[in-house]
Amino acid sequence: MKNLARTLDSLDFLKLDRRTFMKAVGALGATAFLGTYKTEIVSALESAETKLVWLHGSECTGCSESLLNGGNPDVAQALTKLNVNLAYHETLLAQQGIFVDGKLANNSELNSEILLEELIEEGNYILVVEGSIPNGPQGSGKYLMIGNKTFKETLGEAAKNATAIVAVGACAAYGGITSADSDIAKDTDYRGVAFSKTDKTKGILQELGIHKPVINIPGCPAHPDWILLTLGAVILGKIKIPDDLPAVLDDYGRPKVFFPPDHTVHENCPRRGYYDRGEFDEQVGGEKCLWKLGCKAPYSHADCGIRRWNGSVSMCTQAGGPCIACVEPGFPDSSRPLYVEAEDKGVLLGANIDTLSKAAVGAATVVAGVHAVRRMKGE
Amino acid sequence: MKSKDNPIVVERYTVLDRTAHTIHALAMIVLIITGLKIYAGWDFMSFHNARALHMIMVPALLAVNWILIPYNIFSVSEGGIQEKLAHFMDHYVFGPEDAKRMKAIILNFFGKGDYPAFTIYDEVSGHYKTKLHPIMKILIVLEGTAIFVIAVSGIVIYRLDWALFGLPVGSWILSAGDMVAPAFGMSSLQFFRLLHLLMTYWFVFELVVHVGILELDPHVWKYHKAIFWSGKEDLSDPHYVEIVKPNPKHLPDRELWHEPSDTPAEVVKD
Repeated sequence: MKNLARTLDSLDFLKLDRRTFMKAVGALGATAFLGTYKTEIVSALESAETKLVWLHGSECTGCSESLLNGGNPDVAQALTKLNVNLAYHETLLAQQGIFVDGKLANNSELNSEILLEELIEEGNYILVVEGSIPNGPQGSGKYLMIGNKTFKETLGEAAKNATAIVAVGACAAYGGITSADSDIAKDTDYRGVAFSKTDKTKGILQELGIHKPVINIPGCPAHPDWILLTLGAVILGKIKIPDDLPAVLDDYGRPKVFFPPDHTVHENCPRRGYYDRGEFDEQVGGEKCLWKLGCKAPYSHADCGIRRWNGSVSMCTQAGGPCIACVEPGFPDSSRPLYVEAEDKGVLLGANIDTLSKAAVGAATVVAGVHAVRRMKGE
Repeated sequence: MKSKDNPIVVERYTVLDRTAHTIHALAMIVLIITGLKIYAGWDFMSFHNARALHMIMVPALLAVNWILIPYNIFSVSEGGIQEKLAHFMDHYVFGPEDAKRMKAIILNFFGKGDYPAFTIYDEVSGHYKTKLHPIMKILIVLEGTAIFVIAVSGIVIYRLDWALFGLPVGSWILSAGDMVAPAFGMSSLQFFRLLHLLMTYWFVFELVVHVGILELDPHVWKYHKAIFWSGKEDLSDPHYVEIVKPNPKHLPDRELWHEPSDTPAEVVKD
């Protein structure tokens, strides 16, 4: 701290180059942070520091935003309490990649690529992955290059030395929106870390021949509590990897406590009373059950109804949006069309079960009628 | 079995047959109505009443289908396992003879040929050789399958972690669904809910076929009374009935009527 103060005293900001200025501002921010959380940090130092490497694949960074939106604990409190060193997080760290003539330049204090390489080499970190990993084209992974490397390769290297791996968000867990069916889906071939949609044999780690357990925290985005509490449990040793994982995770690698296999969002939905009375909204903007508007809460395993979002004040259905089952491994394909009742999905030539069944019953009625008339005539 | 009072009135349905059919029909109708009420949100009944009625009728339907009906089928015939199996095959499984009858029924529907007899009574043994309409024999198999599917899918709709004697049946069902559902772009639970709805519609379809095609015929109404109340069939009513008469060849020669033009037939049709 004394060295830092002396350095800051002698600084002339007007004469600083951009990079040193950024570094100094970062240090000032850190000083303010330390001042605010001094007591907590002192107590946190009693536990060993845990390094966190947070990688971003193909995604929208919504899960990081969700994490920053966490309220109880917020991210700063959580990192402080748990004595976590968020060593690498592309959207939060000050460094950036610097290449000169195609080669990495400077050092880890300025160059994020060098920082990542050093962290991976040191090992002993928890790896958090946000975003999916493109395996295409043709298994090369070249649809996502960061620096001169494919993200697939970077992830493989980071996974090998990680003490624990956590996939945050639907994309990292199962492929999510990036892996949705499309004309180019086979070419891009987006995968989750340990799963490809529902298939646990086609995660990118399996593709790379790395067999390590992965904790999936799906959602689009993932709830900050799910992320922070899972990381907290891992850091504090409440979940021992890999021994405890079979007991605490479901078939899709999700912590059962947040994604209960025996409960659905529907059961604790704030609009559940309307369902029980058979009152359904037919248009958006109403106050009744959203089932007929395509709500997928009856098929979604998550504790949204109890935990709620945005500081525990609301959730999708409460705000009027039908649940889209973003925590399910088949998302978004298994939820599409998002605002059409699941039973109304086309199953044969675009016709749904209702239509097909009514046609069959109608045809049977006509045949029965003709048959009855003929029999009554004694023909 | 012939009635004591009238030699041509026989017992078509036993008391247990009639009980099973009545409970089955009642349970099925209540399940369809309450199930569709829950699904569609009809407002003639509260959700809780519909659910309660639905859950009361489930064990009734399953007990009838999985206990009472098998008991009836295998207890009514005499003899060992082979005889009971043969009785089951003759009475309830669609066979080559049923295929012939079915063909004749279809031809009759289009105005060609007579409607065939589907009830065959053997006077020698005093038992039916077969008595169900060929369409019924097809429906029985399909319905048995549908009841199994709707029961299995209903378990996870009722409770995701349903267990029987500690066995996590609900989890097993969901895991099995996980192997199939992704092929249809669905989650396991979604798949089972859809199956449950599809089977419900199947039962509506079956009801239309059963009641409409088999029962909307004045000559078949005699079986309404038999299945719901009396259990008896008057074989003197010739519609759809064929009686296998005793073979005269088996009688002592001195008891046969000798006429030059007489040609004894093995089977005398009404």
